[in-house]
Amino acid sequence: MNDIAVLMELPSVRLAVLALLLGSVGLPIVGVFIVGLDIMPVRFAMMHVALLGIAIGLLIGLDPLLCALVLCALTGGALTPMARSTTGLSGAMGLLMTLAIAAALLLLSISGVNANGAFELLWGSILATRPEEVIALAALAVIVPLLFWSRRRDLALLLHDRELALCSGVAVERLTLILLVVIAVAIASAIRLTGALLVDALTLLPALAARRVGRSLAAMIRWSVIFGLAFNVGGFFLALAFDFPPGPTLVLVGGVCTLLLHAIPSTAFHPGRVLH
Amino acid sequence: MPPPLPSALRLSEVICRYGKQLVVDHVALDLAPGEHLAITGTNGSGKSTLLRAVLGLHRAAGGVIEVAGRRARSSAEWARRRSEVAWVPQRQAAGRFPLLVRELLASSRHTGEATRAAQELGVGELLERPLSELSGGQLQRAYLARALGQVAAGAGLLLADEPTAALDFDGQEQVAAVLAGLPVGVVVVTHDRVVAGACDRVAEMAAGRLREAG
Repeated sequence: MNDIAVLMELPSVRLAVLALLLGSVGLPIVGVFIVGLDIMPVRFAMMHVALLGIAIGLLIGLDPLLCALVLCALTGGALTPMARSTTGLSGAMGLLMTLAIAAALLLLSISGVNANGAFELLWGSILATRPEEVIALAALAVIVPLLFWSRRRDLALLLHDRELALCSGVAVERLTLILLVVIAVAIASAIRLTGALLVDALTLLPALAARRVGRSLAAMIRWSVIFGLAFNVGGFFLALAFDFPPGPTLVLVGGVCTLLLHAIPSTAFHPGRVLH
Repeated sequence: MPPPLPSALRLSEVICRYGKQLVVDHVALDLAPGEHLAITGTNGSGKSTLLRAVLGLHRAAGGVIEVAGRRARSSAEWARRRSEVAWVPQRQAAGRFPLLVRELLASSRHTGEATRAAQELGVGELLERPLSELSGGQLQRAYLARALGQVAAGAGLLLADEPTAALDFDGQEQVAAVLAGLPVGVVVVTHDRVVAGACDRVAEMAAGRLREAG
């Protein structure tokens, strides 16, 4: 077993812990938005769009990661009208995924870049975190909670039922647009930071665990941050202690905890609950 | 002499379709301010679609819909329309995501009156409970309390789509009495004789056409 105190003296480990702490504030809240909008395939869709952005960047000679981020943000915004359809956004995500990967491969072929090289840009590592990525996570840690706090009433209505929100004076289109852009940018940032695998650990797993425990949107948001911190920091130190790869360890810790929470009867969390 | 008040609701030649299927067929209606109308009819005859068209939840394919003398064309006008119309939906969303009864009532824009109505309707003790944990009858009462809050906030028209479908006999009579006492225009889609009997007029909808009954 490794000595955690010794490992913590390494700058890369300290930066990783800081990134995980900051990521545990904004990203689980983004996960709650993803679960609420019922767009769990968004991670796959945005991975493919990010790859397309990288391909565009390589083709035209701009920073590929910046191109990926901007394209993800634009795509998130462009998806907004789809939220109106009865089939929701899930179908649009599937279509987007397919078109984006096809376009990316075509562009990579035209630009003469090895596709594997472009794909590698998507596989980040928490131990290779760079200061600018910590800054991006810090920005998300401020912006996302502020978005929730300033629009919590409207968000609760929108994530509960779109028509109820419409009939309650919520600017549904604008709020959906903001949410989709925030989700797309957050995922694009997190994919680069931690690798595609870890994005779920940072976003969806805390949100799914929080849905089990929270009885209101505000409670779910609080619990998601608590679970995010517990899963990420716990998983990371477990990985350090036993010299496991951090990504899969974080996902497994979060996943097992979420499964255990779902195995406990809901009446244990809500003793006053009446079943009809 | 002051000009006459505009109709609470005026429909002229309203058409609604699902794809190629005509579900609301050239419907005309004039509802005076404070007048109460019950719409009856078989399932699938277009009653719910007609109410949803008034709120813009289903876009009418043709015709004119005016609330308090105003049409809605732009997003801002639809937002205004929805603030002028209280709404009790047919299938109240129990929600894929939690919403507390308190939050539902607050969405009426008159939390005080909605909470008072919730007390009167017997769901005032459930404010901190998520809608997903309510029975069908409790959910229906909570949505009606919200609609009464909307009326207190200034809505001049209340649309209710089968507001007593999940209620017992006592509940049906109570809701009928509450609706009958409202000073605003009311259009209620119902199969409930008590509710229909408490209205000023009854119309029947069949195959998308609306005609005055009896």
